[in-house]
Amino acid sequence: MLVTVAQAVVNGLLIGGIYALVSIGVTLIFGVVKIVNFAQGEFVMIGMYITFFLATQLGIDPLLSLVISMPVLFAVGVLMQRFLIRRVLGLGDMPQIFLTFALSLLLTNVALLLFTANYRTLETPYTDASIHIGPIYVPVAKLIAFVVAMVLSAALWVFLHTTDLGKAMRAAAQNRDVAMLMGINPDRVFSVAVGVALALAGAAGSLLMPFYPAYPMVGQVFVLMAFVAVVLGTLGNVTGALIASLMMGVAESLGIQFVGADSGMIVVFLMLLLTLAFRPNGLIGGRVR
Amino acid sequence: MSGLSTSGRLWLCALVAIALMLPLVVASSFAVDVAIRVLLFAFIGVAWNLMGGYAKQLSLGHAAYFGLGAYTSTILEINFDISPWLGIIAGGFVAMLASLPIGALCFRLRGPYFAIATIATTQVLMLLFLKFRDFAWGAEGTTIPNLGDAPLMMQFETKAAYYYIALAMLAIGLAVTYRIERSWMGYYLIAIGEDEDAAEAIGVNAPRVKRHIYAISAFLTALAGTFYVQYIYFIDPNTAFSFNISVEAALVSIVGGIGTLWGPVIGTVLVEATSALLQSWLGSTVGGVQLTVYSLILIAVILWRPTGLLGVLEDAYRRIVRDRARPRANPLDA
Repeated sequence: MLVTVAQAVVNGLLIGGIYALVSIGVTLIFGVVKIVNFAQGEFVMIGMYITFFLATQLGIDPLLSLVISMPVLFAVGVLMQRFLIRRVLGLGDMPQIFLTFALSLLLTNVALLLFTANYRTLETPYTDASIHIGPIYVPVAKLIAFVVAMVLSAALWVFLHTTDLGKAMRAAAQNRDVAMLMGINPDRVFSVAVGVALALAGAAGSLLMPFYPAYPMVGQVFVLMAFVAVVLGTLGNVTGALIASLMMGVAESLGIQFVGADSGMIVVFLMLLLTLAFRPNGLIGGRVR
Repeated sequence: MSGLSTSGRLWLCALVAIALMLPLVVASSFAVDVAIRVLLFAFIGVAWNLMGGYAKQLSLGHAAYFGLGAYTSTILEINFDISPWLGIIAGGFVAMLASLPIGALCFRLRGPYFAIATIATTQVLMLLFLKFRDFAWGAEGTTIPNLGDAPLMMQFETKAAYYYIALAMLAIGLAVTYRIERSWMGYYLIAIGEDEDAAEAIGVNAPRVKRHIYAISAFLTALAGTFYVQYIYFIDPNTAFSFNISVEAALVSIVGGIGTLWGPVIGTVLVEATSALLQSWLGSTVGGVQLTVYSLILIAVILWRPTGLLGVLEDAYRRIVRDRARPRANPLDA
């Protein structure tokens, strides 16, 4: 029993690391640009397809393809901010919600047209490998994904707290108008925030590919999870999103283990609804940290 | 309809006459089918627009009420032999009741997070109905027993009958919107849509107004659910709580003109006409084409005309009327 619980917790933490990359992206864009990116999951999907085709066409290992998927999606993020998001800033909820929402629909369905709904999986030397820590079984591919996800999250934290650009982003998140008065260029800060967020989604895609199938709708799983984590972890709070994502991963995994294989999402949604009912400001509170 | 100008009244009469004649003139069953879809989605759009358009509470979870309406009438029909004509009303009230706790949760959030919370509640309902095997057929769903021509059980042999029911529902939806638009409720809704805090500061009881409009919107949406199941003779959780229904409800209103009486109708005509054309050109086998085009239309409208296409049409109409009323001084200008 105890072993089963421990195993479920480990599984949950490992996938929670991936959720964290997606949620941190969502919360970063929300904190800095004040937009909820409904299309965040679709950028995970794009990251997965990039990784898949690099591996099958050019034989590049999924982990190496991080150095391609992250910069590509960073560039996509900057373009998206310049040509789409910037045009709806200050226009109210409707255009802001439905622009990224429409983008999410567009990317999913274009992927459906180009790649069909088929699941695509990659076999890597470490796909089926695992290590045993006592009675606990740890799949290597998921462990690598988790470690890299944590390293990237830590790197983002260092970036936000030590570099001028990072500090400018936090300042813009706290109070955009005052930050602009202090000479911070919002265009640059916003572009970097969206770029970094999408690069994290791309990283999540590359890290997932060795053990998770790519298909056009795959983003929905991750974006819903991220929205829940971002509410739980307080909107705009990067550390909060990280902690909440790990919790969500564990909750989902325990739900699958003890309620039934198809109950993971019910547990997650119920967590969201309970949070909304009792802690609408999130579990942690506060601003971008 | 006392608020209408003479030309407005003429337009309305012409529109009603065309709508009533359509199934008599059009022989193709495909075209009547498209017309029924247009009326149905225009009606769902009108229901969504009451809350999403006027009060700017941007729900992406109206499929919850569509599904509850569909399931209520189907359960009553199959398990208790109760006519869908009663079931459709029962479904409306079930949806209305459900909107109270759902609203209590979701209205704690504003803007995008309200939208996300409505998605989540719909997903929870769908997942629950996937589990309800004893009285709601679980994931397999069920077909509605075909009784042939049974008007009392809302089953008809001609498509025209379904067309007129859908037309009546749309007329009711538009009449409700028209009445609300011109009542205190309408002004409260617009005030909340403009700035909820400011509306509360001048004495609008925003939570109460939102609760009421959500209940009305849910009631109407549920009627569409019952109608749809009766029309396609099939129900399962993925059809009844389909995310596409939530999307299309919002989409047609935004494309046509959010917070306007005729916006959802214009939007649905445009969106469904495009979709029907695509279907006849490409066949229905190519997955993803329809939503690709929908999302492109949506992005285009948001970037270039966020108030919707109704305004474009009105401007064009006004320009034509004014040009005709005032002849040009110099014919060479034309």
